[in-house]
Amino acid sequence: MRPIRLACGVAAALLATACAATGTTTQPSTGPQAEAAPGYLAVADDALPPGGTLNAQVHIDSGAATGYDPQLADVATTWQLLSLSYETLVTVGPDFGIEPLLAEKWETPSPTEYVFHLREDVSFSNGRKMTADDVVGSFERLLASESVWRGQLGPVRSVTKDGDHTVKVTLKEPYTPFLAALANVPAAVLPMKEINDRSVDPATTLLGTGPYVVEDHRQDVSWTFKRNEKYWAKGKPAADTLNITIAPEEAARIAALQNGSAALATLGNVDSAGMLAGARDVQVVTQATTDLYYLMLNTKAPNSKFADPKVRQAITIALDQQQIADIALGGKGKPSAVTPAGLPGACDPAALPSASKNADEAKKLLAEAGAENLTFTLSIYSTQPAPAVAQVIQQNLQQAGITVKIEQMDEASWSGKVYGKAPADFDAALSWFAGYADPGMVTKWWNPEEAGFNVGFMTPDKELNALIDAAGKEPAGAAREKALAAVCARADTDAQMIPLVTRPATVAYRSDALSPSLYSTEGYGNVLRLVADARVKKTR
Amino acid sequence: MKRPDRLSIGGLACLLVLVVFALGSLAGAGGDPDAIVGPRLQPPGPGWWLGTDNLGRSMVPRVMEGVGTTLLLSSLAVLVTAAVSATFGIIAGYRGGYLNELVMRLVEVLYSFPAIVLAILVAAVLGPGQVAASASIVLVTIPLMTRLVRAAAVAVSQRDYVTSAVISGARLPRVLGRHVLPNVAGTIAVQGTYALSVGIAVEGGLSFLGFGVQPPQASLGVLIQQGGTYMIAAPWLILGPGVVLVAAILSINVVGDGLRDQLEPRETRSLT
Repeated sequence: MRPIRLACGVAAALLATACAATGTTTQPSTGPQAEAAPGYLAVADDALPPGGTLNAQVHIDSGAATGYDPQLADVATTWQLLSLSYETLVTVGPDFGIEPLLAEKWETPSPTEYVFHLREDVSFSNGRKMTADDVVGSFERLLASESVWRGQLGPVRSVTKDGDHTVKVTLKEPYTPFLAALANVPAAVLPMKEINDRSVDPATTLLGTGPYVVEDHRQDVSWTFKRNEKYWAKGKPAADTLNITIAPEEAARIAALQNGSAALATLGNVDSAGMLAGARDVQVVTQATTDLYYLMLNTKAPNSKFADPKVRQAITIALDQQQIADIALGGKGKPSAVTPAGLPGACDPAALPSASKNADEAKKLLAEAGAENLTFTLSIYSTQPAPAVAQVIQQNLQQAGITVKIEQMDEASWSGKVYGKAPADFDAALSWFAGYADPGMVTKWWNPEEAGFNVGFMTPDKELNALIDAAGKEPAGAAREKALAAVCARADTDAQMIPLVTRPATVAYRSDALSPSLYSTEGYGNVLRLVADARVKKTR
Repeated sequence: MKRPDRLSIGGLACLLVLVVFALGSLAGAGGDPDAIVGPRLQPPGPGWWLGTDNLGRSMVPRVMEGVGTTLLLSSLAVLVTAAVSATFGIIAGYRGGYLNELVMRLVEVLYSFPAIVLAILVAAVLGPGQVAASASIVLVTIPLMTRLVRAAAVAVSQRDYVTSAVISGARLPRVLGRHVLPNVAGTIAVQGTYALSVGIAVEGGLSFLGFGVQPPQASLGVLIQQGGTYMIAAPWLILGPGVVLVAAILSINVVGDGLRDQLEPRETRSLT
């Protein structure tokens, strides 16, 4: 009888647990996140003494294939880690404003000319002063490289120096996102003297002007950063040591927060706040980001199921972005067009051509394309909330008679499958783009000839590419909004990459161990953007 | 043959209920397990008697589908295990010699791996999914069953009726198929029930780790993994699959005990 008693005991315990919670409802939190100060979810307490060790955990390491070279880094998770050692001329402030960083100020004498005045007190972590030659050389190296970011800089005609601390960039034509494009890690200022004399290989050594220097890195295990004693900003970084553990399992990161072995962690589950509700001294905040999930439909595979635009349009129509935002992201995301929702001048997704159509029209398009019983495989990675987004997509498309099989894999395998060869052989895939700080930037990824990474599964659309270029030239204002609306409408019709919803970024920290600064919004997928400000209260 | 005890009958009844659940799920009873039917993470209530999950899906059809997936996967895998173990166990036990040594050493190699480590290894090679889960169950359950079948076959091989069959000129397949196999069938059946419960546990463990069945398909392991994630915010998610998993493993073990008492009475349980 002992097994029976044991089973009864287990069942009773589970029942009691459930009953205890009955009556409580976990609803999506759709309201805005409470701010500690305008534009900030948390502000570091400067009254706390500097020093100490900050232990953080993130879900994935930088990609080993591209090494440490910031110009070749092509994913936000890598940018985040490299941003601890490298800095750019300008940076992004709260609410996506462009602010000075290595350039203390700049002028725009004409729409095609930018003059940057560099800080004079900046040194690389080896002690050598940064000069205009480093800035000019970094620009030239980036423009000559195969970097995915090269196209984001726009039509650069020349980069010249005027003395040791002034750099002039001349564009061939106006390009509104230029400053926002300079605010990301691939546009960082590199130690060009050392790179040119080959004493430093940026693929294997991090040598930047940033607040931290790398002491140790074990791929997919951990990073150890020490403060850069030569750092130009007085009093920063506050923490002497920054340990970053790579913990792919969300449960492991949550456990680390609960037991105090991590003071800060990035979380993927949109319900993390609820799950950590009972954890003492753990604060969970959600940044509104411009990052957006998108669905890739491979038109270049042999016998592609999506070669006919009608099939792609049917899928766009059948997708319910609001349901994806409400269900898969717990109300923390927003439907988005190609221009990320939340950025000034972004398109209204409700105004897109597909938004006014219903599932019957999707079925009609499928019938016209001879694809009534369309079945395809959707390749996703297992990091939350991607599986949840995929399952809602599956339900959405089922309404139009489309059968979706979900194929789930780890991020490295997924990346190899989607980006590894041209033409790619997957049917459809799901991922997200950082949305940046200008609504025109991410639209450039819809041009495979400039983006490069999607050339294996996306066929260039000349009309769309022309509209993207035209929107880039327009100065901010009504004319640009109109040009961006045309881009959104054309991308919606082309539907090779279908924008879905914005991606929330959830961060948790121990309030008894850390006083961090966090923006309310983030556009470059960089949760660690203000980590140099963070004050350590205690370290376990 | 003595009457089955009440515990075995209760276990069998519970198992039959679970099988009916699984068949009901295949027939569409309980609703579409993947359909979004209401708000997310709702506690049990009208319309969703076991609550809703993080995608607003009712847990009733998902638990029913989970029972079916887990039982089906485990049953198929155990059938394969029984076939493989019976074949090699009987041959090794009857023939002895180097063949016996080879089979036993191979079994010991498999036995030396902890079950879940072996299952993860298989999933890593084959990739996550039902095939990996089934193959893992087979590899995890083969060693013990092969050893027991071989031990039973050794005992049966020395019986007079087997010796008589050999002397009368019966060929090897006939000796094994007509005289040895029927007499080790009880061991296979009893061990099969234990293997089934181990299989359910392995499937649950693999899916818990993300190497088992893939979304949106439900299995008890997947549901418990998800329920574990939401243990604090939505404890009802683990209630249904947790109770069903306990009931399934317990029932199968109780039925196995009953079967053993029927097929191998205590006084004849000695192997020699």
